[in-house]
Amino acid sequence: MPRLRLEGVCKRYGATVALGRGDLSLMPGEVHVLMGSNGSGKSTLSKIIAGSVRPDEGVIECDGSIVTIPSPRAARDLGIAVFYQELSLAAHRSVVENICLPGLGHARGLFRNRAEMTAAAEPFIEPFESVLGEGFGLDVPVGRLRADQRQLVEIMKTLAARPDILIFDEPTSALDRAQVECFMAVLRKLKADGKSIIFISHRMDEIFEIGDRVTIIRDGETVRTSVLADTTMEEILRTMTGEEATGPAAPAVSAAVKTPQRPTVKLKVSNLVAPGVNNVSFEVAAGEILGFGGLHGQGQSAALRALFGAAQSRSGDIEVGTTRLTGNSPRASIRNGLAYVSGDRARDGVIEGRSILENTVPIYALKNHLFVASPRSLGAKAQQALEQLQTKYQTLFHPINSLSGGNQQKVVVSRWLMAPPEVMLLDDPTKGIDIASKAELFRVLRELAAAGMAILLYSSEDAELLENSDRVLVFNNGRTVRELVGDERTRYHLYHAAYEAA
Amino acid sequence: MSGLSTSIADLARTPLVVALGLILALLVLGELLSPGFASASQIMRLLIVASILGVVAAGQNLVILGGREGIDLSVGGVVSLSAVIAGNMMQGSDAGIIPAILACLATGAFFGLLNGLGVTLLRIPPLIMTLGMLGVLQGLLVVVRSGIPSGLAAPGLARFVTQPFLFGVPGMIWLWGAIGVLMALLLRRTLFGYRVYAIGSNETAARMAGVPADLIRVSLFVFSGMFAAVAGFCIIGYSGSSFSNVGAQYMLASIIAVVLGGTPLSGGKGGYTGTMAGAVLLILLQSILTTLNIEEAGRQFAFGATLLVLMLFYGRGKALRG
Repeated sequence: MPRLRLEGVCKRYGATVALGRGDLSLMPGEVHVLMGSNGSGKSTLSKIIAGSVRPDEGVIECDGSIVTIPSPRAARDLGIAVFYQELSLAAHRSVVENICLPGLGHARGLFRNRAEMTAAAEPFIEPFESVLGEGFGLDVPVGRLRADQRQLVEIMKTLAARPDILIFDEPTSALDRAQVECFMAVLRKLKADGKSIIFISHRMDEIFEIGDRVTIIRDGETVRTSVLADTTMEEILRTMTGEEATGPAAPAVSAAVKTPQRPTVKLKVSNLVAPGVNNVSFEVAAGEILGFGGLHGQGQSAALRALFGAAQSRSGDIEVGTTRLTGNSPRASIRNGLAYVSGDRARDGVIEGRSILENTVPIYALKNHLFVASPRSLGAKAQQALEQLQTKYQTLFHPINSLSGGNQQKVVVSRWLMAPPEVMLLDDPTKGIDIASKAELFRVLRELAAAGMAILLYSSEDAELLENSDRVLVFNNGRTVRELVGDERTRYHLYHAAYEAA
Repeated sequence: MSGLSTSIADLARTPLVVALGLILALLVLGELLSPGFASASQIMRLLIVASILGVVAAGQNLVILGGREGIDLSVGGVVSLSAVIAGNMMQGSDAGIIPAILACLATGAFFGLLNGLGVTLLRIPPLIMTLGMLGVLQGLLVVVRSGIPSGLAAPGLARFVTQPFLFGVPGMIWLWGAIGVLMALLLRRTLFGYRVYAIGSNETAARMAGVPADLIRVSLFVFSGMFAAVAGFCIIGYSGSSFSNVGAQYMLASIIAVVLGGTPLSGGKGGYTGTMAGAVLLILLQSILTTLNIEEAGRQFAFGATLLVLMLFYGRGKALRG
């Protein structure tokens, strides 16, 4: 009898289907791998099991009886524990306290015994004893640990809940080889004890090393469950992307005409290191659109933000045209010819409550050292930029909030068109905007590239990325693992590279 | 048709229009309570008092517009210190006017700079930073004055503040009007103004658009210190000599004037024209309370209550916008 069984589980957000049909059966003593392309519903499925998302339809059975999991607490009561990718640790509390945190809710009495707590935490630390590294200690606040050590603490915390069902969502992203080995040993032990494990990872080698079965999700539906020993990476990727490896490449729309002579390099990045970015180097030529691809959150967005000077820290060499970029701030980057459009326009783009004019002119004013703001002369220039993108608005003096999301984003892009940059960094620029606006935006981007601008594009939609990029750099865990050119720009190759061992 | 009626309805909801309406109503009420309340000379006297508050509120307005919980609680301290400096440097002589005003401006700028650097470089919340600065200034005042009331306004300054200067209107009111025009130009017709609103509305987006947010914020606190200093200087002209802690009342009053004028404490919208109306309204209210023989304690109570009621209506800014 399966430990956990999901049948026809479905989750919709308005008109968007996050998970159309989720079927899963998790046996005792197995490591069950979940795989799927970006936005396929993998994380929605695991959130439903974790109790943080409530399904609209479907049946969940735990040990043969039908259950509902309305809250993370209910999940815990059913013996489910989750390792969260975006860690859930209390930074100012010690390692021991963090590990014991899941148990504290159950304990009776007002006071905790320090020695007892340490004793309770120790069995979970012990398997990792040899790979903890410098600076790790039972009483050290978690905030002072390195990223890999924090990830180990999160693993220990998950184990300390003594669950029957464990969900690990990318548990090894920050770990080194030796730490991964220890973790694998722990998983094997759990398996031998009859525990059930759901495992999500982007490292194909790990998946084949530890996994028993794999369930593949495509476009919100679980399409197949196979025994890993009976399948191959190629077969999994074919199922996942619905594409053949050797089949015709996805029609990359109007790839830029390649000039025969060597094109001028507009942006040269060497050994870029920043939070979430691990030694990335590449070049972009004038007229080129370079795509950043891979699974979500592998450093694509972090790299673009770091280039623009929006990351806490940054090292490496960045050359825009022939000038070396100094100064880690957006202001310095703008002056050196960079532009950045964020997909999170409410946070990074729109100056809420202010007029369309005020939202359009800041870059132009900065580059031209303006002090006096003449609505007439600025307005004429702003209007030109807005019309280039066919932005719909009543007057320049209406607040930007009066526009639709797509038009707001066009205003933000127009900001850069008023004083065109050398290189444009696009960080998922079409997130949450309508199809017509998307098409409009990419038409203009093509024109800008044709006129000699270099463009870096990250998109959370694989199709959009593949269609609009001349080349695609595939990111995995903060590094670039492969470059896709020409006919290789297909979903199949994208995921092949994304799941390759880093 | 809906266009016209909604624009009238919108207008009626504009804080500036509301404030102007209330000003008229209070004038009528004052005249009813005490005939002569709304006479030309009386109104002029009210405007002089309002203008001094209005100058302090100009700085307060800028700091609040800049957002990130911007507020300057040290204005009262700067006003008092500036009054002491001005009185002691002038000592009743017109020759002392220029050195005194320069010294006051430098003092205001200095304390404003300290506030600004504390808020930006050290990341101290403005509330704490400027409250601490107020304490420092009050301590400083005790040391400087060592308990003796001192200083005397230059006759030229006293004339400028209280006597008709042009078209029967005192110079002080002209000065306030000029500040009003300059503030409007600064906020609406310069990139500096655009950037103040930008950091007040969405600092992250402003930085991403190349706005030097910290530099702007520091300059707002410097402006605030300097406006408070100008007010302190003018107070000497109004009252003749500096008396103990003359600026204390301006902390709360300047904040109320700004909020009354339609600039929410969350920043990013509003402007100085409304604040000017707010200052007049507040002084009128104070005057009516005086007419009703309500003691200082009662007036303070009324001020505090006014601010709290205002918060209920437009102080919560962002929360109400959704």
